[in-house]
Amino acid sequence: MTSTIDSPSPSGADLRGEIAISVRDLRKHFPIREGALQRVAGHVRAVDGVSFDIRRGETVGLVGESGCGKTTLGRCVSGLSDPTGGGVYFDLTGDDNERLDSILASPEADRSEELKQELKQIETRHRVDLLQNQDWLRYRRNCQVVFQDAFASLNPRHLVREIVGRPLKVHKEAFGEALTERVVGLLERVGLGRQHLYRYPHQFSGGQRQRISIARALALDPELIVLDEPTSALDVSVQAQILNLLNELQEELDLTYLFITHDLSVVRHMADRVVVMYLGKVAEAGSTEDIFEDARHPYSNALLRASPDIEDDPDAALITLEGSVPDPARPPQGCRFHTRCPVATPVCGWEVDDVVRWLEDEPGMFDALTDVTRQDAFNADLVFSDESSASALAAALRSAKVPQAAREALVEVKQAGNAVHVVFEMVPEVELTTRGPGHVAACVLERTPELD
Amino acid sequence: MAVDTAAGRSSRTLSGSLGTRLRRFGEISREVLRNPTTLIGLLLIVGMVAMALFAPLLIEPNTPNPYQMPRDWGALNEPPGTPGHILGTTQQGGDVLYGVIWGARTSLRLSLIVVSVTVVIGLIVGSLAGFVGGKVDELLMRLVDVFLSIPELIFALAIAAVLGPSFGNIILALAAVFWVKYARIIRGQVIHIKQNEYVDAARVIGDSKLRIYMKDVLPNSITPVVVQATLDMGNVVLIGATLSFIGLAEAGLAEWGVLVSQGQAGISAGRWWASTFPGLMVFLWALAFNLLGDGFRDILDPRTESKR
Amino acid sequence: MTVSHAPEAEIDTTGAIASVVGLRVHFESKAGRVYAVDGVDFHIRDGETLGLVGETGCGKTVTARSFLRLVPMPPGVHAGGSIYFRPHQPCPECAGTGCEVCDDTGRLPVPCPVCGGEGCETCGGSGNETIDLTSLSGKALHDIRGDRIAMIFQDPAKALNPALTVRSQIAEVYGQHRTEEVLQRAGLGSAASMLMRRFVSQRSRLWERALLAMPPLRKKRMRVERAIDDMVSAALAETQIPNPGNVMARYPHELSGGMKQRVMIAQALACNPDLLIADEPTTALDVTVQARIIELIKELQARRKSAVLYISHDLSLVRRVCDRVAVMYAGRIVEIGGTEEIFANPLHPYTRGLLAAIPSRSQSRGQLVAIRGTVPELIDPPPSCRFVERCSYAVAVCGEVDPGLENVNGGHRVACFIHNPPDMAVEVPSFSKVTS
Repeated sequence: MTSTIDSPSPSGADLRGEIAISVRDLRKHFPIREGALQRVAGHVRAVDGVSFDIRRGETVGLVGESGCGKTTLGRCVSGLSDPTGGGVYFDLTGDDNERLDSILASPEADRSEELKQELKQIETRHRVDLLQNQDWLRYRRNCQVVFQDAFASLNPRHLVREIVGRPLKVHKEAFGEALTERVVGLLERVGLGRQHLYRYPHQFSGGQRQRISIARALALDPELIVLDEPTSALDVSVQAQILNLLNELQEELDLTYLFITHDLSVVRHMADRVVVMYLGKVAEAGSTEDIFEDARHPYSNALLRASPDIEDDPDAALITLEGSVPDPARPPQGCRFHTRCPVATPVCGWEVDDVVRWLEDEPGMFDALTDVTRQDAFNADLVFSDESSASALAAALRSAKVPQAAREALVEVKQAGNAVHVVFEMVPEVELTTRGPGHVAACVLERTPELD
Repeated sequence: MAVDTAAGRSSRTLSGSLGTRLRRFGEISREVLRNPTTLIGLLLIVGMVAMALFAPLLIEPNTPNPYQMPRDWGALNEPPGTPGHILGTTQQGGDVLYGVIWGARTSLRLSLIVVSVTVVIGLIVGSLAGFVGGKVDELLMRLVDVFLSIPELIFALAIAAVLGPSFGNIILALAAVFWVKYARIIRGQVIHIKQNEYVDAARVIGDSKLRIYMKDVLPNSITPVVVQATLDMGNVVLIGATLSFIGLAEAGLAEWGVLVSQGQAGISAGRWWASTFPGLMVFLWALAFNLLGDGFRDILDPRTESKR
Repeated sequence: MTVSHAPEAEIDTTGAIASVVGLRVHFESKAGRVYAVDGVDFHIRDGETLGLVGETGCGKTVTARSFLRLVPMPPGVHAGGSIYFRPHQPCPECAGTGCEVCDDTGRLPVPCPVCGGEGCETCGGSGNETIDLTSLSGKALHDIRGDRIAMIFQDPAKALNPALTVRSQIAEVYGQHRTEEVLQRAGLGSAASMLMRRFVSQRSRLWERALLAMPPLRKKRMRVERAIDDMVSAALAETQIPNPGNVMARYPHELSGGMKQRVMIAQALACNPDLLIADEPTTALDVTVQARIIELIKELQARRKSAVLYISHDLSLVRRVCDRVAVMYAGRIVEIGGTEEIFANPLHPYTRGLLAAIPSRSQSRGQLVAIRGTVPELIDPPPSCRFVERCSYAVAVCGEVDPGLENVNGGHRVACFIHNPPDMAVEVPSFSKVTS
């Protein structure tokens, strides 16, 4: 298969292992507007600083639960949403990639004019949200998407021939008879046929609609396909058919996949490398084997232990996670997972918001809380309506009601009348650390201790 | 329901996209014919539109202006059944049958012009607001709010007061007030449809915004507009008749509202025919379009929304 | 020609809280009659969790909804069969709190009115009162719904009324079915007037409501409200919701998905039902939340010993929750038996296909065993095995005769000629003969 990249470079097969997409410190924040004047009251930090590479020919699995930002990330990679910070870079050569990383490593203020120029050059030709004209069209031809809901992603008023043939028309690759023949070719490749050309989407089953969606994605011979939960809405046996098809196509056409899903068994089956996301950041990333055999982040472990089909032993209890996902507009300090982590340590980011959260579970005390004056996330005064509640809190903070790790992180607990002054040790955000070749995790612990 | 698998039924007599589209049209038509009330509406409309279109053939047009009621000074206030005037005559000697037939033509003109103009304006404004969004949306919606707060009748009276009573001014007044309805409908639909994944899919292919609007957003947003337009064909005539009844159109116009107004003085004296027949026509016209519009609503909407 | 299904009487149904016998529910559509549920037989024992598993269109949801007559009857048509239910009553000894007599469940079966507990034809030999759910209506149906049989649905956001607080929704259950208990707790007991009774069961007339706002009756009303508060709080606490007092006052949209599901479970279990029907209760939830809800359901079921009919398309999940599993395909049950038995030894080719289709460690990429073809349309189905088009072992007889659900060993039943060869001199299919 000839390369679809029109810059002078070797054929597709030789480019295996080269980087197709580089995600660098990607951020996507959505403003929250409140009040009659619609002032911006805060931001939902859907994606908050994510970096990883997708190499040619591989399948990267992006997993996480709802609200972790994986869908938003997928949309930024495919160019449907523009990032608020950082960028998605397409088709960088190995050298360019290194240059980019070294430029980005230095803080913006320190960069020389030369470096800034170089960065600008790289960005105009490679950063997805800054691409223009020819470069943009080239990106569109090379990056396609298969959506979750096949029914919603096909225009109900268009015939299959229109739907699958549209990319060819838009990029002026074929018309009329030639277009019809190419569409038939695509349909046959995904297991459909000529007889399906002149039908409407509602006349097909879920699995067939997904096949039509895939045929459309293949129309322009793309490099990369972003698959956003492509089989989540399908029955198990249909899912098996579609997954087999996707594999076949990947081998035949040398495709690269970004496979977004919440289903761990599917990811284990399909992906070469896995990126686990939690609340807008990467919790852990590595080869599939690394993640499934040697997960180093407590969240990855919790996900694995909570999935019924992963554990081959049906009697092993499903490990459950307490609490619920925090508000993405106010992500927790330190490690975002510390509010639910069963093995949190004193340096995991205990903060004032945690105290407020514990109070919510104590009805009497929560009602007595009148005000919280924060100096910063770790330092605040909690004011109650009466002294006894204040003393109760002060006592509770020293007792076993509060996790030991949190108690150790407390620098100061001082009661003064109705108010309690609380100070936690200030800790920075937890960074991703290397655990092995290509294996990173954002946890202060080396390994996750056994959870029972 | 899924029709079949890959092994599927082979192409029928008419294959190709034309075949499928014709089949679809056939399905919709069959639905229309199956529903008795919709069918009645359709038949009434066909009858009245035919009457309007063939008016010059059905009855000798008046000179110089066929839209003016002719005056037969020798036959004032004749009851129905008089030779030459089957439905009777008015106080001015106008043939009631003439008024009925040419009134249909007037009504057709009125409704067609008003509905087309309002739909087009409403489409443009609503699409801009919904598709572009942001400040444009805000601005346009405030404009819509201003127009919405104008009561039709008062506005028509105001225009008449300023520009003088004429049928053309009635058209103007109605158009000025009716377009906001469509702007709102379309805006709501566009905002809703925009969120569908097939619009994202079109963006990912690289299609231009205009093409996406024309091919994906507009066709899927149009259904409620079609329904509303059908209903309005009836309502416009109803309101138009009201306006001309209260005197905003030229006297002597061959228009149902005018006729009703001029004939009402004679009712107490027992001369019912001059008002009743035109009044009946207004009723039938509005009824017919309402029936058809309701039928469309039932047939078109669930079909396009949730065919699974 | 069809082989008839095993008559219900052959299967031991003592101790069964519900038996489905030959249930047929069809739908009239423009294209014809859809045979959505077409001859379903199974029973649920008291205290057990039975899983009903199948893919889209197999009829499991229609079957489950038939228990409470929730299938819209045009276009649906009850074309045959019955669902027999043996309701219980709150144990007279302990008033529903649990004691030795009722084995701590708080419920005891109602003796059959015809034979007084001896066993007769009406009650199918069980000695307990037996009702046919498919023929219930009006007050009798209302008494069963929410009280003896409760249901939790897939999407809690859609199943909870967004305009009512959590408290109101759960209070409704108590108001409708536990009027006496509420009055007792409020200290009003049998002296309570009709006015108060109507208030509790939410049937107050307009002027009565005005009266209740005024001083003399106001105090009584407050007591009733507080009694209901306590009961609602206790129900919520049982589902491990922290801070029930706080949650009670909230509206559904203020709660997370997992919490909403707990509220729905609390509402369903409020009156200690004999049978809980769970229609894909965790499909809309995240994996970690799903794990907790499953543990909760298991725990509650173990404690109250109520029966659970668990509907799901996820076999792995069902394995963890259910004692027995019934696999449905195209409106019929194709295999039923103990969970471990079915997973260790799946007999029906469809069950095997389903299990093999789940991506697991042992399968290399691109080699998932996919069942070819798709679910057949259920309009005018031919009198053959419904799975014949997709079966790799089908032979001639499979395309002509419909196999019935027959016992293979113990309670393990299968509808397939591989295990129950027909009584005719024809070629018999087997797993060693792959025909396509």
